[in-house]
Amino acid sequence: MIELDRRTFIKGAGAGGASCALATLLPGSLAALEQKPLQGMGKEVASICEMCSTRCPISARVVDGKNVFIQGNSAAKSFGGKVCARGGAGHSLLYDPQRIVKPLRRVGERGEGKWEEISWQEAYKTIAHKLNDIKQQHGPEAVAFSSKSGSLSGHLFHLGKAFGSPNTFTHASTCPGGYVIAAKAMFGTKVKRDLSNSKYIINFGHNLYEGINMSETRGLMKAQMSKGAKLVVFEPRFSIVADKADEWFAIRPGTDVTVALALCHVLIYDNLYDQAFIERHVEGFDAFAKEVKAYTPEWAEGISDVPAKDIRRIAHEFAAKAPHAVVDFGHRATFTPEEFEMRRALFAANVLIGNIERKGGLYLGKKAKTYNKFAGDKVAPGLGKPGVEGMPKPAAKRIDQVDEQYAMMWSSGGIYQTILDATLKAQPYQLRAWVMSRTNPMQTMTDRALVVETLKKLEFVVSCDVYISETAAYADIILPESTYLERDEEIADKSGKSPAYYVRQRVVETIGDTKPSWQIFKELGHEMGLGQYFPWENMESLQLLQLDRDMARFNEIKQKGYVSYGKPLMLREPAMVAAFIKQYPNAKPTDEDGTYASAMSFKTPSGKIELSSDKVEKMAAGRGVIKYREVKLKQDNELYFIQGKVAVHTNGATHNVPMLANLMSDNGVWIHPITAGRLGISSGDRIRLTSSVGSEEGTALVTPGIRQDTVFAYMGFGSKNKELARATGKGVHCGNLLPNKTAAVCGMNIHTTGITLAKI
Amino acid sequence: MSKRYVMVHDENRCIGCQACSVACRSENGVPEGVTRLQVRVEGPFGDAPHLHFKYNRVSCQQCENAPCVTVCPTGAAYVGDDGLVSIKEDKCVGCMYCVAACPYKVRFINPETKAADKCNFCKDTRLARGELPACVTVCPTDALTFGDANDPSSEVAKLINTKATYQEKTHLGTKPRVYRIPTKRGGIQS
Ligand code: SF4
Ligand code: SF4
Ligand code: SF4
Ligand code: SF4
Repeated sequence: MIELDRRTFIKGAGAGGASCALATLLPGSLAALEQKPLQGMGKEVASICEMCSTRCPISARVVDGKNVFIQGNSAAKSFGGKVCARGGAGHSLLYDPQRIVKPLRRVGERGEGKWEEISWQEAYKTIAHKLNDIKQQHGPEAVAFSSKSGSLSGHLFHLGKAFGSPNTFTHASTCPGGYVIAAKAMFGTKVKRDLSNSKYIINFGHNLYEGINMSETRGLMKAQMSKGAKLVVFEPRFSIVADKADEWFAIRPGTDVTVALALCHVLIYDNLYDQAFIERHVEGFDAFAKEVKAYTPEWAEGISDVPAKDIRRIAHEFAAKAPHAVVDFGHRATFTPEEFEMRRALFAANVLIGNIERKGGLYLGKKAKTYNKFAGDKVAPGLGKPGVEGMPKPAAKRIDQVDEQYAMMWSSGGIYQTILDATLKAQPYQLRAWVMSRTNPMQTMTDRALVVETLKKLEFVVSCDVYISETAAYADIILPESTYLERDEEIADKSGKSPAYYVRQRVVETIGDTKPSWQIFKELGHEMGLGQYFPWENMESLQLLQLDRDMARFNEIKQKGYVSYGKPLMLREPAMVAAFIKQYPNAKPTDEDGTYASAMSFKTPSGKIELSSDKVEKMAAGRGVIKYREVKLKQDNELYFIQGKVAVHTNGATHNVPMLANLMSDNGVWIHPITAGRLGISSGDRIRLTSSVGSEEGTALVTPGIRQDTVFAYMGFGSKNKELARATGKGVHCGNLLPNKTAAVCGMNIHTTGITLAKI
Repeated sequence: MSKRYVMVHDENRCIGCQACSVACRSENGVPEGVTRLQVRVEGPFGDAPHLHFKYNRVSCQQCENAPCVTVCPTGAAYVGDDGLVSIKEDKCVGCMYCVAACPYKVRFINPETKAADKCNFCKDTRLARGELPACVTVCPTDALTFGDANDPSSEVAKLINTKATYQEKTHLGTKPRVYRIPTKRGGIQS
């Protein structure tokens, strides 16, 4: 929920907008430049949104040289030609006077906020000199490289690898890593959910109506509205997705695993599972069934507060709709140190009803290579990668892979928060510099004080960003990146049930002295003496290389922005397989039942879905079989502190974007009326939240839409650096309250803790 | 008037995401501090666990019987050939009579033009180009439908004829042209 009408957090009509005196003083900011008319690159440019990680295909046009209107690219059907509030506000970032458009050098103490403008050449020279120096004295592994995952990360990581460091990180362990690692353990790869065709959806706080992921949000709404799907939501607060649900259970924070396991218990012991599917495609069922025996709905009720009779009933309803039913495996929960088991339990409920590669269930992405193999034809082109000869092989181990159990994290990313220990405690060895691109660990990691200490201790910090983010505020050098509306990028894979590609293209000429990050890291690479590893001339040469110089394809993708190939295919869905083989005469022959079930393979050691896994057992003893372990998220006198996403902001990234800051710049703290009454708190009161690591001041929002033992705040607010003039000091900073803890196997940074609450 | 433009807001589909509000600002160059359109998420109402929100579209209702037009002393507020309640900026003297008269509290004085302003279904921007209003174009969950209710084959006519709808403050006799499909509690079924 964004706004509660009477206690307004979204500013209504008439509320004054914030134009800030500080902005004009900020060196390197856009405010210092003369406002020139925007130069559009074409009448209507197809591109890709970057206001969140969903990366929706968009279509943008410049209006009267001063505005950009952004809508969705209607060629991408599952996205429906739509954008969310953040996507629609992209141009507000483009010419925000507080945006940084010149390279900056820190002149005061780290974090003090004193900057001077420097030239790109000087910025490159300083960085190259410093990093090469560190490399010579301590080895390349003493430098960590981190980036938001996506198109940008490839280029930074390429630089990191060329430099010789194994330490590259994405934000995975602070956000999406849990379910990806769990899927890897069970299916050997990522899996997707086919929400739009589902008839029964069980959701554990995956708030797709606020944490908008366009195609999935639309899929969920379509299932509910057009297919009459039933939606059951387990979530401690009354979110928008809870409001839209047929049933909402205010589950105790961090106990989702018990309900998931109890659902599995009922599916198995009431004989509701798909035995034929299990026998054919699943490994480790017996061990799982044995473990799950104890996890009755009555047991789960005692821990989760969800009534046993409801769990039992829901399991039966779910099974009755099998296989066109799904337990959503969620997104950014990271509730407990047992995140890995929670995600696996959610996947297990899907596996038990055999919804894999069935409509409304889970499926594996069909990229060109796989799809073409089934079609017996080259339906979709492959996407080439530039091979670079002689890339150095890092001699050192990654700082996060000292513990064997985290080895499943993907190779270019890692356990982000291990940077803290490596810097502060030299574990497993001393880190000395950190180069980052569009990442804001000060908001997205936990224990803000520890992140500050880390940044202060490092010898050298470089940040490439569009704003002086909370993290960039601690850098030595800031490299101003062009916004996505000013950048061309590689063609990207967006395959779902059939292959699809799309491309980010610049909508307007660059404003100010910024550069796209691929160019920044290439030029920096040259300066560092690593030029041989950057043989491409520019983005177009990279794009052509990807398409094997097929000009027709190249032009088609650039003109349409989004191109999908073939017919949707789910391997065990007979009607889809029939339509597929009708389309492709050379298609692979089907099984006797008219499906491709026997061709379904998983990249696990057994080639099957591993409900229990020997591989995981070897990595972390006792964790081969999915199991419940008690965790203590808060002390007895404390309240649970939970957080989540809001529809008008993205994590730690958009709170300073003018249009979005004007919509919402503060996060009220949700408190149940009984809890508030006990503490003498009313809506609008100033309150203090104190946890084991920090203390935050905020505003109370008293509402029955939360459990009595829990408080909630939207994440990403309450920045603390003065450079983010619109966002700073407004609301509660979640990262300042959360302790730095890491979940087993998946390496997730835990995002729930206990707090005490007091009126100020 | 052959056309009767109406907007239907399906509160079952609405998620209060403000995509509409942002798109409106971009398309119509609405300055900071004022707004033509917002969707207020109100509530929650009821007793836990049976709570619900209301998704309230706050924008000009395009009244067929518009008090803002009646009170305007200069004729700046007028009903156009298309039936839409519009504003002639050059005729407006900023007296704010219309602002006071609007029972839906959606008129304001635009700080840049100094004239009265409000939602006009993107009449002079997107409609003029043959496009749908900005809010309808972007709405992630297809909660908004726009069209000519006099055309029986239009989506809006079909919706109004087949779904239970309501309008705000009809007792005032303003005959609003924003129709709302109320949330059905206890499950969304089509
Ligand atoms: S969900 Fe919104 S912010 Fe994210 S990519 Fe899509 S339009 Fe952009
Ligand atoms: S864009 Fe659509 S879903 Fe979002 S607030 Fe507006 S009407 Fe509701
Ligand atoms: S809603 Fe207000 S501004 Fe709009 S037509 Fe009615 S009275 Fe006039
Ligand atoms: S403010 Fe303008 S439009 Fe409104 S009543 Fe006065 S003259 Fe008419």
